[in-house]
Amino acid sequence: MTQQLTQQQLDELAKDLDAIRDEVRADLGERDARYIRRIIRLHRTLEVGGRVLMPFGFIPPVFVAGVASLGLAKIIENMEIGHNVMHGQYDWMNDPSLHSQTYEWDTVCTGDSWRQTHNYEHHTYTNVIGKDRDYGYAVLRLSDDEKWHPLHLLQFINYVMLTVFFQWGVGLHELESERIRRREIKLSDKKGFLKDFFRKGGRQAFKDYVFFPLLTFPVFPIVLAGNVCANLIRNLWSSTVIFCGHFTEDAETFTEASIEGESRGHWYLRQLTGSSNFTGSKWVHILSGHLSHQIEHHVFPDIPAHRYREIAPRVEAICHKYGLKYNTGSFGKQYWTVLKRIGHYSLPDRVRMKLEAQAT
Amino acid sequence: MLSTRNTHASLRWLGKQLFNREDPGAFFDPLLAVLNPMWVRGFVPARLLEVTDETADTRSFRLRPSPRWKGFRAGQHINIILEADGVRHHRTFTVASAPRQWDTDGTITLTVKRHPGGRMTNWMHDHLTPGTIVGISQAFGDFELPEADVPLLYIAGGSGITPVLSHLMTLADRDFRAPVTLLYYVRTQADVIGAEILYALASRWPALTLHVYRTEEEGKTAFLNESHLDTVPGLRARQVYLCGPKGLMDLAGDLLHSFGIKDDQIQTTFFSAPSAVPADTPLGGAVTFGRSDKTVDAEGDAPLLEIAEAADLKPAFGCRMGICHQCSCRKTEGTVVNRLTGKASGPGEETIQLCISVPQGPVTVDL
Ligand SMILES: Cc1cc2nc3c(=O)[nH]c(=O)nc-3n(C[C@H](O)[C@H](O)[C@H](O)COP(=O)(O)OP(=O)(O)OC[C@H]3O[C@@H](n4cnc5c(N)ncnc54)[C@H](O)[C@@H]3O)c2cc1C
Ligand code: FES
Repeated sequence: MTQQLTQQQLDELAKDLDAIRDEVRADLGERDARYIRRIIRLHRTLEVGGRVLMPFGFIPPVFVAGVASLGLAKIIENMEIGHNVMHGQYDWMNDPSLHSQTYEWDTVCTGDSWRQTHNYEHHTYTNVIGKDRDYGYAVLRLSDDEKWHPLHLLQFINYVMLTVFFQWGVGLHELESERIRRREIKLSDKKGFLKDFFRKGGRQAFKDYVFFPLLTFPVFPIVLAGNVCANLIRNLWSSTVIFCGHFTEDAETFTEASIEGESRGHWYLRQLTGSSNFTGSKWVHILSGHLSHQIEHHVFPDIPAHRYREIAPRVEAICHKYGLKYNTGSFGKQYWTVLKRIGHYSLPDRVRMKLEAQAT
Repeated sequence: MLSTRNTHASLRWLGKQLFNREDPGAFFDPLLAVLNPMWVRGFVPARLLEVTDETADTRSFRLRPSPRWKGFRAGQHINIILEADGVRHHRTFTVASAPRQWDTDGTITLTVKRHPGGRMTNWMHDHLTPGTIVGISQAFGDFELPEADVPLLYIAGGSGITPVLSHLMTLADRDFRAPVTLLYYVRTQADVIGAEILYALASRWPALTLHVYRTEEEGKTAFLNESHLDTVPGLRARQVYLCGPKGLMDLAGDLLHSFGIKDDQIQTTFFSAPSAVPADTPLGGAVTFGRSDKTVDAEGDAPLLEIAEAADLKPAFGCRMGICHQCSCRKTEGTVVNRLTGKASGPGEETIQLCISVPQGPVTVDL
């Protein structure tokens, strides 16, 4: 459970973290601009490469290369470019094509919907049950703050569906279908959202499943299949990365009452203990959009993500200073705890408790 | 014609679907910039050909814009887009060359004076070397040449001579017959910008009368005063062009009025960049919402988001604590202090987060 820090400790924690943020902010410049431009160039190269290779996919190795190239392009665009740009990490560059409020990314979810549900709701109310709708995406039960229901037994199926169709799930997140089902809101309240959703979703489907296949008509089944695979790779990878960020075994949850009138220090505390990192090579970090450094990202959402790697040791040291757990581990280990959590909380509380008691 | 426009529009539509952006042409810029930076579509690229010294603190930059640039009329200016330390900056400069230079060799000249303490003018002097590619905007501004041969008076100060240079070269080429007088205010003779051009014009073009006043060398009488205007024959019939620092502009305007010259005879172009407020300026000030055409007085205790809401505006927001950037918006003028970092912004146009920005002196935001 959350370590109890005094208000004075919380204020000091905020001061320590603010100092890191101010230092990095003051140092932003050429190096960061060059980094993101290089990544963007890589994205364009992979996207063009993937689109060009795909029609020659009747040669099996070329098919694999085309799918890999387009899949990687989508991953890089969503994770390291889109997600980070929309957080305002590069607003200081004053480049209109990297502006947080107008960027539109290569996925079904509209930029505007993402800015509302993710940047605002998820990053402000991180892991607050009932307020952070990213917590379990309203289809998974991941803590006993939510009452168990027999349907939860099947939640592993929900999980598989969510991860396979992740871009559509994220795109529909703002619909708040669970609240519509509970009759708290009406479908008609979401007219504006649905219109945008169909426009953007249609645009994405048109591009990958109609336009490029038709353009290469004689080989259209190959191009269609390749594009489906590329989207699937991106869906699996990005959902897995995101799940490892907040749903690992020890990532904490919070109640609405606990954040009433909270101080900046307490907000920081929530970000530190509600997130989890995973380790890996430089490319694992880049392909995850540096969400492998979810803790650093949650503490400093608008600092260019490639800096997280550099400041991680200092954030870890601050955690130790205040006796907080710095939740990290290998990708495999963290993912395993996510799967375990999904499995455990699908069971009735009594069975789960027994299992947990046995395990310790 | 119609059909090419239709193809263009449908290609644009398709580009938007495929690349998720309003300017689909710029999607490939990161690759084009490597192949040939003059091919980028995001802005009009221009290659710097030559840098020459005008005076100790002024240099001319001769540029060759890409063929996409639409040209200019004498007296117009452009925004130049430069990247320093990873940050993109826009600054306005007059095209100091005549349109004829553009017609004959496809180049234009910007004449840039170091602005004391200024970020980009000094950077341009220190870092821009021939071969560099910069971005430029299309030309704009309406400091227009007279259509008929009417008598003219130019009053210019310092680097304010730049549009006048372009005008005078164009008028001389046109063999303009009516009298033209230029009163040019500089600190010393060495500060005369475009000296070679000015003196050459004065000697070969009889319509031009040139007076250079050197305020530091000649003392008090060299500052613009009534006697300078007395020397201009037929003053009241002249069409007047003013260009220079604000102090000179204001003074010239007052004097001209006292000589009975009406506002519609006077054309002005302002050069002055906004200057930073002193660091000890108290928080609060007049906040102008440019798009809604509203101004309110704000105390120093509220961020712009609350000030805007109190004025019945509905800006977008999310967390109200500086995390989500939902409230990001353009500030066009003035200084704000960031509540989280305690740091003051610059005085010019930039993006700020309304929920954590407190005005320090008068501020204009694009809301
Ligand atoms: C129509 C026009 C034509 C000009 N032509 C010339 C010319 O031919 N030669 C010449 O030497 N100078 C010219 N100037 C002045 C020139 O634009 C300024 O000296 C220059 O922008 C100063 O930039 P800086 O970065 O050195 O100054 P800084 O002090 O760093 O800039 C001050 C701040 O003001 C903002 N700012 C700067 N310029 C402007 C502006 N024009 N409008 C709004 N905000 C601004 C910036 O964002 C910055 O934050 C012209 C100005 C105008 C408006
Ligand atoms: S409202 Fe979230 S940053 Fe201003």
